[in-house]
Amino acid sequence: MIHFNDVTKVYNGNVKAIENMNFTVEDGELVIMLGPSGCGKTTLLRMVNQLESITDGDIMLNGKSVRHSNKIEMRRNIGYVIQSNGLFPNMNIEDNAMIVPNLLGWDRKKMRDRFNMLMELVGLKPDEYRKRYPHELSGGQQQRVGVARALAADPPVMLMDEPFGALDPIIRTHLQEEFLQIQKELKKTILFVSHDIDEAVKMADKIALLKGGKMMQYAEPAKMLNKPANSFVAEFVGQDRVLKSMSLYTVRDLANALTLKPVMESPDSQNINENLSLRVAISKILNQEADQLIVENDNGTRKGSITLDLIEQFLHREIKESV
Amino acid sequence: MDRTNKTIALIIKLIFWALLIAFFVWAFANNMFSKIWEQPDTFLRLLGEHITIVLLSGAAAVLLAVPLGIFVTRPKFRKSEWLIVGIANLGQTIPSLAVLALAMGFLGIGISAAVVALFVYSLLPILQNTIAGLDSVDDNMIDAAKGMGLTNAQILWKIELPNALTSIIAGVRTALVINIGTAALAYLIGAGGLGVWIFTGIRLFDNAFLMSGAVPVTLLAIVIDYLFKWLQFALVPKGLRLARKAQNS
Repeated sequence: MIHFNDVTKVYNGNVKAIENMNFTVEDGELVIMLGPSGCGKTTLLRMVNQLESITDGDIMLNGKSVRHSNKIEMRRNIGYVIQSNGLFPNMNIEDNAMIVPNLLGWDRKKMRDRFNMLMELVGLKPDEYRKRYPHELSGGQQQRVGVARALAADPPVMLMDEPFGALDPIIRTHLQEEFLQIQKELKKTILFVSHDIDEAVKMADKIALLKGGKMMQYAEPAKMLNKPANSFVAEFVGQDRVLKSMSLYTVRDLANALTLKPVMESPDSQNINENLSLRVAISKILNQEADQLIVENDNGTRKGSITLDLIEQFLHREIKESV
Repeated sequence: MDRTNKTIALIIKLIFWALLIAFFVWAFANNMFSKIWEQPDTFLRLLGEHITIVLLSGAAAVLLAVPLGIFVTRPKFRKSEWLIVGIANLGQTIPSLAVLALAMGFLGIGISAAVVALFVYSLLPILQNTIAGLDSVDDNMIDAAKGMGLTNAQILWKIELPNALTSIIAGVRTALVINIGTAALAYLIGAGGLGVWIFTGIRLFDNAFLMSGAVPVTLLAIVIDYLFKWLQFALVPKGLRLARKAQNS
């Protein structure tokens, strides 16, 4: 658990970078800090592992004040991933990934097993990469190693500073999805900095939207999209926030909330898997690929059909509910 | 384009080697290295003095300049950089002959004055290359290392120095090669070295003395240069070497 308690950061005696920040990241939660550049999100992240000092207030990491912890020991218990992966060109991939276990004095066998396991986890073949060097890997592969390195000593908490920001969109989407899978399995407590609202909506359990060192809203993605706390939030999440929020719901959510229409065979219908997001569903309809979509589960059993007005009805309901 | 470049490089190399061989054929035919065969003991003594001056001054310069370079690149002491580099610069701006003369003024005639003078003269290239090498280490890398809980000493030894090593060794190499040439002047303050034969040759218009002194100095410089190239190869971590190669191709 990471608990921010009245955290304030003042530069040069008068420039307030962070003002009275109060919020909590619960165990196993992935919280994304979002905001325009200069809003203080990276500063706030770096205050957790004390790469930035805290002027006033405190951050409690699993009940312990970071201001009064031993910095070196604490940092070894926090996974840290940065945008430009920061791999060391003088070390091969195994040494890079195992740098923290090495500092902690793990034995060779344990480190090797851990390396193999982590590389499998991030989708790289351990034996193929073990002896290679960072410059021989693509940006995406390097960032995978960066994630493996941060996970090496199995820290309960991870700090990630725009980890996928420097990658091209296709690789980024891939890594986001893979990382979500990993997170589902490992349930780390993660504080994550991003400037990309789509990334935040897709990945976060909660979003912290910052501006000028102040918290604008701290809420679940759906709530932030459907019920922005003020005009800044509304503007930041975008005019198309309703569309964005639809990527948070699957066709099954709709099927569970409302009664589906009966299936009517027509040339203008298409099948859709119930695990797909509503965003996919609506774009199919708007794209005039079909007037109605027939909902199927994984076994191919038809559950009913959805149309544009049914989606509309669902959205009204959701927006009202989250008020 | 690449192909023509390579051809030109090859032609220049061939011309260079041809000239070199022609020179040695001429030199041997005219008995230019006769002094080396006639007085092998003297030759070895002068060569020994020459090498001693170069190695002692070089080693002392490395031992001072590298730690100094590390010191001024620590954030806390960064402000002292201009002062220390300024002082080292002073040693380099004064003509080498003047440095030797000044050293003789303090330490009198002999090998110690020459060692001190060349030591002062070598500080700057090593210091500057150490600073440049350490500065070129990517800040993100250091940030990542810090964030993972490496101590400052571990960051220096495991990250900064290995990544700066190419540049540091290049500095030492430059300093030593310059030193070998400058040490020929050590004769002027009575410190011996192969300069003894070179200057004798100049005074007597005797090419045999001149060549017997000058050619070994040149060869020594080339040998040291290659030795350090090899050292760079042996000491710089493999990953960095490969990365550099990949970048250049």
